Amino acid sequence: MADYQAPLREMRFVLNEVFDAPALWASLPGVAGNVDPDTADAILEEAGKITAGVLAPLNREADEQGCRWNDGDVTTPEGFKEAYQTLVEGGWNGLGGNPEFGGMGMPKTLVAQFEEMMQAANMSFGLAPMLTAGACVALDAHGSPELKEKYLPKLYSGEWSGAMDLTEPHAGTDLGIIRTKAEPQDDGSYRITGTKIFITWGEHDMAENIVHLVLAKLPDAPKGPKGISMFLVPKFLVNDDGSLGERNQFGCGSLEKKMGIKASATCVMNYDGATGWLVGEENKGLAAMFTMMNYERLGVGIQGLGAAEASLQSAREYANERIQSRAPTGARQPDKAADPILVHPDVRRMLMTMKSFVEGGRAFSTYVASWLDIAKFSEDDQQREHADGMVALLTPVAKAFLTDRGLDTTILGQQVFGGHGFIREWGQEQLVRDCRITQIYEGTNGIQAMDLMGRKVVGSEGKLFELFAEDVTNFIEQNSMDAALRPYLESLAAALERLSDVTELVIKQAGENPEAVGAAAVDYLDMFGYTALAYMWAKMVKAAAEKAGNDTSGFYTGKIKTARFYYDRLLPRTVALAEGIRSGEGAMMAPDASEI
Amino acid sequence: MPEYKAPLRDIQFVMNELLSAEQHYASLEGAEDATPDMVDAIVQEGAKFCEQVLSPLNRVGDEEGCKLTDDGVKTPSGFKEAYQQYVEGGWPSITADPNYGGQGLPHSIGLVISEMVGTANWSWGMYPGLSHGAINTIEAHGTEEQKQTYLTKLTSGEWTGTMCLTEPHCGSDLGTLRTKAEPNEDGSYRITGTKIFISAGEHDMAENIVHIVLARLPGAPEGTKGISLFIVPKCLPNEDGSAGERNGLSCGSLEHKMGIHGNATCVMNFDGAKGWLIGPENKGLNCMFTFMNTARIGTAIQGLGAAELGFQGSLAYAKERLAMRSLSGPKNPDGIADPIIVHPDVRRMLLTQKAIAEGARALIYLAGQQVDIVHSGKTDEEKQAADALLSFLTPIAKAFLTEIGYESANLGMQVFGGHGYISEWGMEQNVRDARIGMIYEGTTGIQALDLLGRKVLMSQGEALKVFTKQVHLFCKENADNEQLKEFVEPLAALNKEWGDVTMKIGMTAMKNREEVGAASVDYLMYSGYIVFGYLWARMAKVAQEQLAEGTTEEMFYNAKVQTARFYFKRLLPRTKAHAEAMLAGADTLLDMPEDAFFI
Repeated sequence: MADYQAPLREMRFVLNEVFDAPALWASLPGVAGNVDPDTADAILEEAGKITAGVLAPLNREADEQGCRWNDGDVTTPEGFKEAYQTLVEGGWNGLGGNPEFGGMGMPKTLVAQFEEMMQAANMSFGLAPMLTAGACVALDAHGSPELKEKYLPKLYSGEWSGAMDLTEPHAGTDLGIIRTKAEPQDDGSYRITGTKIFITWGEHDMAENIVHLVLAKLPDAPKGPKGISMFLVPKFLVNDDGSLGERNQFGCGSLEKKMGIKASATCVMNYDGATGWLVGEENKGLAAMFTMMNYERLGVGIQGLGAAEASLQSAREYANERIQSRAPTGARQPDKAADPILVHPDVRRMLMTMKSFVEGGRAFSTYVASWLDIAKFSEDDQQREHADGMVALLTPVAKAFLTDRGLDTTILGQQVFGGHGFIREWGQEQLVRDCRITQIYEGTNGIQAMDLMGRKVVGSEGKLFELFAEDVTNFIEQNSMDAALRPYLESLAAALERLSDVTELVIKQAGENPEAVGAAAVDYLDMFGYTALAYMWAKMVKAAAEKAGNDTSGFYTGKIKTARFYYDRLLPRTVALAEGIRSGEGAMMAPDASEI
Repeated sequence: MPEYKAPLRDIQFVMNELLSAEQHYASLEGAEDATPDMVDAIVQEGAKFCEQVLSPLNRVGDEEGCKLTDDGVKTPSGFKEAYQQYVEGGWPSITADPNYGGQGLPHSIGLVISEMVGTANWSWGMYPGLSHGAINTIEAHGTEEQKQTYLTKLTSGEWTGTMCLTEPHCGSDLGTLRTKAEPNEDGSYRITGTKIFISAGEHDMAENIVHIVLARLPGAPEGTKGISLFIVPKCLPNEDGSAGERNGLSCGSLEHKMGIHGNATCVMNFDGAKGWLIGPENKGLNCMFTFMNTARIGTAIQGLGAAELGFQGSLAYAKERLAMRSLSGPKNPDGIADPIIVHPDVRRMLLTQKAIAEGARALIYLAGQQVDIVHSGKTDEEKQAADALLSFLTPIAKAFLTEIGYESANLGMQVFGGHGYISEWGMEQNVRDARIGMIYEGTTGIQALDLLGRKVLMSQGEALKVFTKQVHLFCKENADNEQLKEFVEPLAALNKEWGDVTMKIGMTAMKNREEVGAASVDYLMYSGYIVFGYLWARMAKVAQEQLAEGTTEEMFYNAKVQTARFYFKRLLPRTKAHAEAMLAGADTLLDMPEDAFFI
């Protein structure tokens, strides 16, 4: 296993050369005061050191140890507590937090790079700060001033951590049917009773308090999703002076035994008349949760990206060191018993595919993050509305496409190792197991696809899609005179047209048959993702082309060659996907359930 | 863990209705015992054993794993007893040579049993499965004495076997292996070296283990032409045939792996162990090629098994799990929600699995019949034709089935949502176990080079024609069949395109040999999808005929037609992406400066 190194050069390329993030930050008054290029660079450096030096070395052993449950307490793997403390001391939990309550107020474009490093270095661990950040976003957006005052500073500092309690044994995707109940008390608090499962970092020994945001139903709440409210339920009740009081009435009943992310505690949480406080309005809990979800969903996509990056780092090192067979056109290292496997075309196919997804994925996550920044910080209503639309459209793509390609990438990274990839000591198989959950949680990728195709594309009658299409079209038009870009732009235009055609077709079909959306959804999201990555690669070519001439390092030429590979070898997948979508819903809906 | 139910109806469909097993067995030399009743009884009995004995041990094996102790390797609870039952039931010998205690039934029947064993419990199935390699080697290349000594015990199952190929520094490239064999005066050899990744290399299920070891003789030529095969038993056989004193070899450690935890993956240390040459000196690799196809079909079954097990588990779950309402109105108005099988995307996942599992079964059984003919065909022409077809189908079956079987297992897990990720449901184990299929017995990349380089291009396309001719004939015969048109037309077009793209790649490869490796995996996947297209079209034809004649099993046959339709509309289009990718040329892969990978 290669020691993880934060890909700072790649991140700087994306931030500074592809997206000119410093200019974006300078244009947003809410950010401009917090960050300049030097600060951003220092943060990247420091994040690289902490993730590579502190988190990555714990990853393998923590997978072996896992978390241990003992009478309701959860012990984390060796070194986790200390690593968490290091993060707290560096203030990393509050990197993107609201400065009013002690956060650092950094833009998502920058925070996304830190998230990627953390998830690449140690996904199990990375889930704790990620969940905390998500809880903070929901609390910041919907909590009362008192709740915010009391909890946000401690969450941003990391002294306390956060957890999100949604799923119940019978209800995951379909939260409308949850049963956990919340009964109002005379003092304005609520008594929470019920069982929640799959609660990531629901209990542990790294922070002194754990703040759960719990979905529950008030007495006489309407049935279904419109009868769900959100409550803040701390592990320890908090005294008025901010100190910890007595233990609240709930606990961790057991830990799940699972495929991967073994070092993160996946808890069954039993609420037994626990004391909680309403966050946001009654019966609007799901809407409040969605605020957090948009944020988290990009974060999950970034987990897929992180796992892919870690896998790529190990695979290319192995491919360069492992010697096996000769190159088809003659020995490259005649003094050795065989050539490094990097010379073999098929090994290159795997590495180039990985590189395409990782670097394209990083550009895409940064692109989505830039829309999140504009949506949050812009003072121009029109610009904000536009950015909100882009965020709504692109979030499900970022979540599902980056995790699907993340899994593909880790599987290829394992394949490069041959038999050694199946063996635990090399770390490649752990990345596959860890990455696999990202396609499932925070809304399965099937749900993301329904969100994209149904709610966003069909729901807006194509208007949201047009925002993206315009962005791509503008890019194509603005660069039509650029000789280096021309071959890419033609293919990009064709891919966009293919996607637009299919979009139109499904919107039309959906009007006639409600099943059309679900039948097209997953293939559509895939197609969207491949097209969006083609756009990212064209942007990267633009940033690299003029520098490639004087480039002796191979960095910029590498970018152009990878773009070529992506366009020639991976983008054609959209043709197959389009054909599947065009065939309609019949193939899926015609068989009776018993015939399946 | 899903309880495995052997898909007997589908097994019968493929064997009898699609591939006319009765005529097939009647056409073989010495397969008189393989009457329909007999075959059916064997399959039923095998199904019972797999469902009742092996399936319940699958999760146990994963949880407990194997342990290396001072007394050797301990297999998971129940494994040893199950093996004893397997031996008592006579299962190891069903297809073996009657001269050495076998029952001499056709190999295709053994593959059906292997399918059921492997689906119920792949880790367990690898113990008897690995014996096949040793049996095949000794059967094909052993002396009469070696056969008497080893084959009888392997056939009865009292002893098991392994194949010791890989070493720490060499896997795909066996030419660089270092294990050495020095001649003793008594005609035996002293074997010294380290072998890794030896499945079932050491265990407590049988009293002796017969290793077939690849090693080099002193002064052997370098590379692949200096490798010889040796029989190296764990315990040296006594005069009376019983297992005697321990040989100088041992299991040094067990690998910790992603899956197949119930199977012992051993580092084997040979420390001057006594061995005997089998086959001619320095021809070890050639000797292994004689049964490589059969061995690889055996591995291909893992893809089928993973798809079938994931499908069975997720189908049951999709019918029970309630979440959301159908978009076209409630289907289960009395429940709090509808079963998730009503949702189109869940159906996409289920139908993909069904198309893969049933298509894979058809491909394995088709290949199995070729194995039969190669062994027991009545004429040399028949044998040669079957051998050619088998050679072509083998790398496709091995790589394509394990790849899409893995995809299928992941879909099975995805249907379960979060529960799929939890060990108790068994779906994640299925994914972990299935992953090795794409790696061992020659990775997907190696299979693809075998298909495109060694077979198709080296034969100037003749190897491909063996198959495309069959497809062409089928399309021609059914050109006027209106009902079948939706399948035959696209199939005929693809069949033609297949030849065209092969020609194109052949032309570019003549100029640049790198083109073969640059196109190979996409070519293999492309080929696999067309092979499946052919098999699904044939299955649709059989089903449509039954439906036209009037059948009591309307649902079963309708499902076949629907699944074929799903396959053609949703999965077969993937050929388009593979075709474009493989024709993109080697430059996109090789132009990349090596340094650019590292910055």
